[in-house]
Amino acid sequence: MKKADRTEKGKTKTNKTTGTAAEKIDFTNPAYYTNRELSWVEFDSRVLGEAADVTNPLFERLKFLSIVSSNLDEFVMVRMGSLSDMIHAGVTKTDIAGMTPKQQLSAVSEEVHRLVAEQYRILNTELLPALEQERLHLVGPAEKLSDADQKFCHEYFESNVYPVLTPMAVDSSRPFPLIRNRSLNIGALVSKKDGHAELEFATVQVPDVLPRIVELPTRERGQRRVILLETLVRQHMDQLFLNYDIVCASPYRITRNGDMTIDEDETEDLLKEIEKQIKMRQRGEAIRLEVDATMDKRLLKFLKKELDIHEAEIYRIDGPLDLTVCMKIYALEGYERLKQAKYTPQMVPELPDGCDIFAQIRKGDILMHHPYQSFQPVVDFIRQAAQDPDVLAIKQTLYRVSGNSPIIAALAIAAENGKQVTVLVELKARFDEEHNIVWARMLEKAGCHVIYGLMGLKTHSKITLVVRREEDGIRRYVHLGTGNYNDSTAKLYTDLGLLTCSEAIGEDATAVFNMLSGYSEPKLWNRLILAPLWMKERFLYLIRREQQYALEGHKAEIKAKMNSLCDQDIIAALYEASAAGVQIDLVVRGICCLQVGIPGVSENIRVRSIVGTFLEHSRIFYFRNDENPEVFCGSADWMTRNLDRRVEIIFPIEDEKLKAEVMHVLELELEDNRKASELQPCGREYVKVRRGRKAVLSQDIFCREAIAKAKAAAKPLPQESRTFTPQTSSGR
Amino acid sequence: MAIKTFAAIDVGSFELTMKIYEFKGKDKARVIDTMVTRLALGADTYTTGKISNEKVEELCRILSDFRRVMDSYQVSAYKAYGTSAIRETENCAILLDKIEQRTGIHVDLLSNSEQRFLDYKSIASTGDMFRRVIEENTAILDIGGGSIQISLFEKDTLVSTQNLRLGVLRIQERLKPFRADLSQMEGLIDEMVSAQLGTYRKLYLQDRTVKNIIIVDDYIAPWAVRRASAGGVEAVLDRAQFTQLQQILHSHSEYQTAVSMDIPEEKVPLLLISVVLTRRIAEMMGAEKIWAPGTTLSDGIAYEYMEKQNLLSRKHDFEKDIIACAVNISKRYMGSRSRAETLRTIAGTIFDSTKKIHGMGAREHLFLDIAAILHDCGKYISLTNLGDRSFDIVMNTEIIGLSHLEREIVAYVVKFNHSPFEYYATGGKYRNLDRESYLIVAKLTAILRMANALDRSHKKKMVEVKAKLQENELILTADTADNVLLEQAYFEEVADFFQEVFSVRPVLRLRKTL
Repeated sequence: MKKADRTEKGKTKTNKTTGTAAEKIDFTNPAYYTNRELSWVEFDSRVLGEAADVTNPLFERLKFLSIVSSNLDEFVMVRMGSLSDMIHAGVTKTDIAGMTPKQQLSAVSEEVHRLVAEQYRILNTELLPALEQERLHLVGPAEKLSDADQKFCHEYFESNVYPVLTPMAVDSSRPFPLIRNRSLNIGALVSKKDGHAELEFATVQVPDVLPRIVELPTRERGQRRVILLETLVRQHMDQLFLNYDIVCASPYRITRNGDMTIDEDETEDLLKEIEKQIKMRQRGEAIRLEVDATMDKRLLKFLKKELDIHEAEIYRIDGPLDLTVCMKIYALEGYERLKQAKYTPQMVPELPDGCDIFAQIRKGDILMHHPYQSFQPVVDFIRQAAQDPDVLAIKQTLYRVSGNSPIIAALAIAAENGKQVTVLVELKARFDEEHNIVWARMLEKAGCHVIYGLMGLKTHSKITLVVRREEDGIRRYVHLGTGNYNDSTAKLYTDLGLLTCSEAIGEDATAVFNMLSGYSEPKLWNRLILAPLWMKERFLYLIRREQQYALEGHKAEIKAKMNSLCDQDIIAALYEASAAGVQIDLVVRGICCLQVGIPGVSENIRVRSIVGTFLEHSRIFYFRNDENPEVFCGSADWMTRNLDRRVEIIFPIEDEKLKAEVMHVLELELEDNRKASELQPCGREYVKVRRGRKAVLSQDIFCREAIAKAKAAAKPLPQESRTFTPQTSSGR
Repeated sequence: MAIKTFAAIDVGSFELTMKIYEFKGKDKARVIDTMVTRLALGADTYTTGKISNEKVEELCRILSDFRRVMDSYQVSAYKAYGTSAIRETENCAILLDKIEQRTGIHVDLLSNSEQRFLDYKSIASTGDMFRRVIEENTAILDIGGGSIQISLFEKDTLVSTQNLRLGVLRIQERLKPFRADLSQMEGLIDEMVSAQLGTYRKLYLQDRTVKNIIIVDDYIAPWAVRRASAGGVEAVLDRAQFTQLQQILHSHSEYQTAVSMDIPEEKVPLLLISVVLTRRIAEMMGAEKIWAPGTTLSDGIAYEYMEKQNLLSRKHDFEKDIIACAVNISKRYMGSRSRAETLRTIAGTIFDSTKKIHGMGAREHLFLDIAAILHDCGKYISLTNLGDRSFDIVMNTEIIGLSHLEREIVAYVVKFNHSPFEYYATGGKYRNLDRESYLIVAKLTAILRMANALDRSHKKKMVEVKAKLQENELILTADTADNVLLEQAYFEEVADFFQEVFSVRPVLRLRKTL
């Protein structure tokens, strides 16, 4: 038995203090932790940093600006919504960093206001002028239009916009209407033309069925002008309220609390309950009001009162509301030179087009690195299984899938071909609920056995099992991944996937689906590590094992990459390991509640975050284990929700060659000095890494490597020759 | 050889298990799927005598799930067994029919002795390790919910098997009124079991020492197997390791134990009971090692299937075990071993020579052997009412490997060896026997009576008994140097019954020897 194996495996609670050497250190001290919401805002700031980064192509900067907005929308709905709920419920319990919900909301609100201000500063002072230089002009709301433009706008309004508008007025007989969550609206104060001075509120939703940007005709070559739909609607308000004078009109947008609370114990039909909750999301409490900075004070006062919104929840915006519109600008054709060159995911060398995937997997485990390598083999894996007469069953977990998913189509075909198809569609996947309900119903109709997730748990694991009858008996083929079975996001998210027919993993995969189907209680796992029951314990054990090595004077090392790190038990264990001398290098893209550089606590921990063209999404865990490194990949972050409230799978990479490949990914990201930012000591601030003379842009390198590998694999083999080449002493 | 897929289903008192096996040829079995779902059917049966509607619904749902999984593997055969919770439920027949109608799964009942026998077979299915262990004196301790079964091996032969009503669930129920905590429970369990274990020691163990205990349970064994599998070794615990397990239980709360041993919290008290029972029995036997093979009833079901399908190249001789058990029961009731052997030999000769006319097989031959061995066990109680008392003893003594029905057949054969034969139509005396089993009783009785007659004086006067069918006669020849008037008289007495059963007249031809 190895020395470090003596570390107690079954420990459930993190040691709060170290042993004799650091008797006084309480590793759970809130001062050592960053509030997760503030850390998230810090992440969005890093994304915004990419919008400000002049080394990025202009249109890519616009895209980052749009991502910030879309991220913020979700953050406000879910996280700020949840804080708001807690405050209403009188919760005063402090978080990991010692903050009450009220303190958190106040601090977060302040940070979000700052972030939004910065976002619009970048838009107004950097990006719009840069677009002007590129002769792309965004027509402002106050801008005077030429007669020709006015005519065009008028005609466009009359023929396209007007028919889909539903203007609504509010008076004593007409209550304040339901304003849809995240919809863009024009609010106005109007007064009757008959001379009554009383002001009435009127509103109209900017239709989301129409393009948000409208291109104006222009005669100047190379010059392009676009006008926002809301500007167009605003200019035509008088046509919507014919008997009124428009006193003032201004765009506004509200965000509602989108935190969904489902009492699964009381719910008989989860599918119906979720459908109900999705509808309710449109009626949740308003927690953010975005208004044009120039909005009339009376109009704002009215909205504030009707929506029962606090001052801190009002965002006065100096520019267009909802900057996800930047993606529409990004999509304009003709500006390819201002965008990052489009990357085509490369062929996986072990899985050339048209190959027998099962035969290839039998040759050995296959690792795929998306989006550098194509996701198509995963789709083909399901497709081949669906058509293969020897395949008996296909089982898969689905969390987020693309629209018109080829995987769903293949599963349906498999069921129609008489295979036993079991699909766990996680209905509780946030903001994909509606989408997933549609898939679930479609799969059921095709004859699949559909499971709508587990009571009280979200199934976030990414696993596919194909059971095949072969000459020498049943063989199981398994795909395990760090990312969703989504062919669209697989082009944008960096993820790792493993195809294997290992007997041990196959047995585990079978047990996973037996567990998910409710057929069987979980058993002893051969290789896979599952949350919520076993994963945290295992990670704590692996961390403590490194700690033990360090204490015994061995070199001890942990390297890990994940999306978020906020579980207190894990962080405390990392602190303790660091204090014992374990070298810890982490790549954490988003939330990080851990602080580095705290004397005696986290001096040996380094945290960096990479925000690049692709969204860093893979989870990799490396433990030095003296001289026997263990490498794992999987679906789980070191977040409490992943470890305690979700079904997650971590899988080991056992093939030495693949292990080296995964370590290359991790090592290269730790060397990135172009898109990486490093967490600064004792706080939550990040600073861009600029160390090293040689630029290391990990995502670019991975692209080049994938291209080289695919090229090498595609290279035809030298033609067979009947002439032999003798080796001579001269080296010939 | 074609690959076969087989499903073994165990509808237990506490959980339902299904294992899917793949057989690729002789001895090549692989478990390809295992499903275990908790459903405490026993909690209903043991308290109300019936399984509630809710549990029946759940049972059908789980079995339908099992069916779906079986279909997904396209299994070629399956065997489903219900144990005590199903067996003892009042509406058993209705329940089994309902299950079959709703799920398409036919569930057979297992008697306790059959269940233990399959457990035993599951251990034997481990092969070499089992053979190695039983080379030394060994006990199989099979801990169930309602009872435990202790089977003793001496030099690789099963010598006794005894059921004691000391199952973990039963003990837990008895402990409930005390509201004892974990630390107090140990003393209480000790006191509760010591009387029965003391009796067991006097009856079966005597001065024997047992080196190894093979444990079959749902508590210690899974833990030991998990612990051992990490190191890739067999789950063998020595005293020190067993003490370590006890220490975990002593020093941890129920929750901590559940977490550290990776078991559900509700299993912790049952684990404690299992540990105390095992410790007490190990101490009583002087055992040094405890081996947990980690096999389950499903493995026994699969082993039985492999036996029937001739998929085993080397089988453990279970019939030898059953015979050894019967010999020990006979010994306990002061039966005459040499008489039993004489009867077995003669009866066996008659059985073999009349195969053409009786149509019975090896299993019935085994019943005849057991009946011969136990023919006089009732003497221990009453010399005057030998048939009935022998019947009672056989009916109330578990013979491992025999189902309840099979035991009843043996009991009737033993009874009618001494008492007048009762016909099937004359008043429902055969409580559980169907017509086919009754015919077996009649045929075996006729043979045993014949053998008994040929050694009526218990003096082995006839040697070299041979039998041959010749037209409508069964010619029995024997050598004798003695006066066999008594045997001849009895022979004529039983010959009529033999003829009635087989339509063949037995004829005795004696050769006088000096």
